[in-house]
Amino acid sequence: MTSALIVDDAVQVRLWHRVSQFLFREARLLDEWRLTEWYDEMLTDDIRYVVPATDVRGESADALGLIDDDAARLHQRIEQLLNGEVWCEDPRSRTNRMISNVEILADQGSHLEVAANVVAYRFGHGRSDAYVGKYRFELVPEGESFRIRRRVVVLDHETLYEHGKLSIVL
Amino acid sequence: MTIELQRPVDDPIVVDDLESLSFRVDRRAYTDEDVAAQEMARIFDRCWLYLGHESEVPEPGSYVSRDVGGRPVVMSRGSDGAIRVFANSCTHRGALICSQPAGQAKSFRCPYHDWTFSNQGELVGVPIPDGYGPGFRKADFGLAQHRSDSYRGFVFVTFDPEQPRTLTEYLAGATEYLDMIDDQSEVGMEVIQGAQLHGAQANWKLMMENSVDIYHFRALHKRYVSYMQSLGSVPPRRRGGFGAALGLGHGANELPPAAARPLAHWTPMFGPEVRPQIEATAARFVERFGAERAERITGTNRALLIFPNLLIIDAIAITIRKIDPIGADRMAITSVALAPKDEAPEIRELRKSHYLTFLGPAGFATPDDIEIVESCQRGYGNRTVRYSDLSRGMNKEIPETTDELPAREFWRQWDRLMHGDDGHFEVAHQVELQGAEKQ
Repeated sequence: MTSALIVDDAVQVRLWHRVSQFLFREARLLDEWRLTEWYDEMLTDDIRYVVPATDVRGESADALGLIDDDAARLHQRIEQLLNGEVWCEDPRSRTNRMISNVEILADQGSHLEVAANVVAYRFGHGRSDAYVGKYRFELVPEGESFRIRRRVVVLDHETLYEHGKLSIVL
Repeated sequence: MTIELQRPVDDPIVVDDLESLSFRVDRRAYTDEDVAAQEMARIFDRCWLYLGHESEVPEPGSYVSRDVGGRPVVMSRGSDGAIRVFANSCTHRGALICSQPAGQAKSFRCPYHDWTFSNQGELVGVPIPDGYGPGFRKADFGLAQHRSDSYRGFVFVTFDPEQPRTLTEYLAGATEYLDMIDDQSEVGMEVIQGAQLHGAQANWKLMMENSVDIYHFRALHKRYVSYMQSLGSVPPRRRGGFGAALGLGHGANELPPAAARPLAHWTPMFGPEVRPQIEATAARFVERFGAERAERITGTNRALLIFPNLLIIDAIAITIRKIDPIGADRMAITSVALAPKDEAPEIRELRKSHYLTFLGPAGFATPDDIEIVESCQRGYGNRTVRYSDLSRGMNKEIPETTDELPAREFWRQWDRLMHGDDGHFEVAHQVELQGAEKQ
């Protein structure tokens, strides 16, 4: 065992730890409905939030998906969720986002490409649903932390027949 | 075959009272598993049902497989170019011969014993054929082909070999509305890739009613209205528009748009860059159809219900929504977007973007529709309240879009078919007017 390898590992582990902590914090803010804080502190001004269709899962530019929000529409989405206009999220659902398999896929210099798995449980209006999917993030470094520039959630479900809707931020 | 309704004849589900202008539906219609089973036999096994759009099988060899009326089917464009609809079930022992949702195939091979069928349905391959006697003829074992037809690109199928009407006869007054969809391109319309496959834990008819109900818009969809206003969209000052009964259970609403339409109705929310080309398209429509019809096609929003389970909503984008019952208290919803094949890329992007804002399981409106129909279904759990009321507009010569005429047209046809009667071609509204005159 060489000391160089230990040092390298330590850098990687620290980076992985920072990324993981960042994602866990994001999940916590979303679970606690602290959506304004999430939007203001964790996203870039040119955020893109995408959920592709369940039948066309890749990011085919020609295909229609389920969500394709720029910053303005995402801001509108969370405003609505917070101001009581979203009937199906009033009362607010209880959610629990379980993040795992956090992996730094590449360091592109300007940003990190990060993958993770997510199971988001949602309970509300007498229903319980689980959304299972894969996160793909572009994280832009900012000081000791990051901001998210691209946030893609590829659902693993074949259909959302059981869920019916997707009214929370995954 | 006659199936007796499990209820006395003096206890009707649909109470259509033209004397007192009252229209009530017994909520058993949404909750009773026996009613749901009879709907499959009396409605879904008999009507013409929407299957898909011709653009989904663009070339010889293209196919899609999906469930229609509870039955797995394959829509295949054969090597000869003709569209056929087959039962997705091997004629040998019954396995699905096609498990892919869509693709290209010269033939379909059953994975169970490798029986192989051409994309025109003939049985072309049977392994170890000497296991059969001289009476076995491959020609007797082709895929079961369903009667299908298309109108302006919309492909329908019927499982009733004795269905008395041609597709065009069946569509009745709805053909005019399908014309106004297909006329939107000179080279044809196409389904955009990427389906929104979702559902609701509620009876399927609730979503049929909801989709032609404009009355709920301002109450339930406040957040969508505020979003559109934030984009600078101004709702029309007068209500305008009208509801129509189109015969044989079909209905529609037509109303002035509250926002832009990507086809050819520009408002500032689309931005100044695309204005010249959208206005040029609008001018082209006037050339093709004259000012009045062009305005109806390009400058009017429409929600069309085709009995029993198809909805086509032409507003900020066109959505084709197929509703499939799963027992009494669940449904599957399949939504796709339809657009002109020759649409400019930047207009297509606008269309997709605004489609997602309103529609689909994560839009700014549809999730609330899903939740409200589930809420109705839960409300029906209290059987003390027996009836739902659908009488709005029965007193009017021209029902408004906030009235419930299209839903009544649906229910009247539902009632006729559930009683085994499909001979009527009545336009509900004329009947209502006769009732109103008697008063």
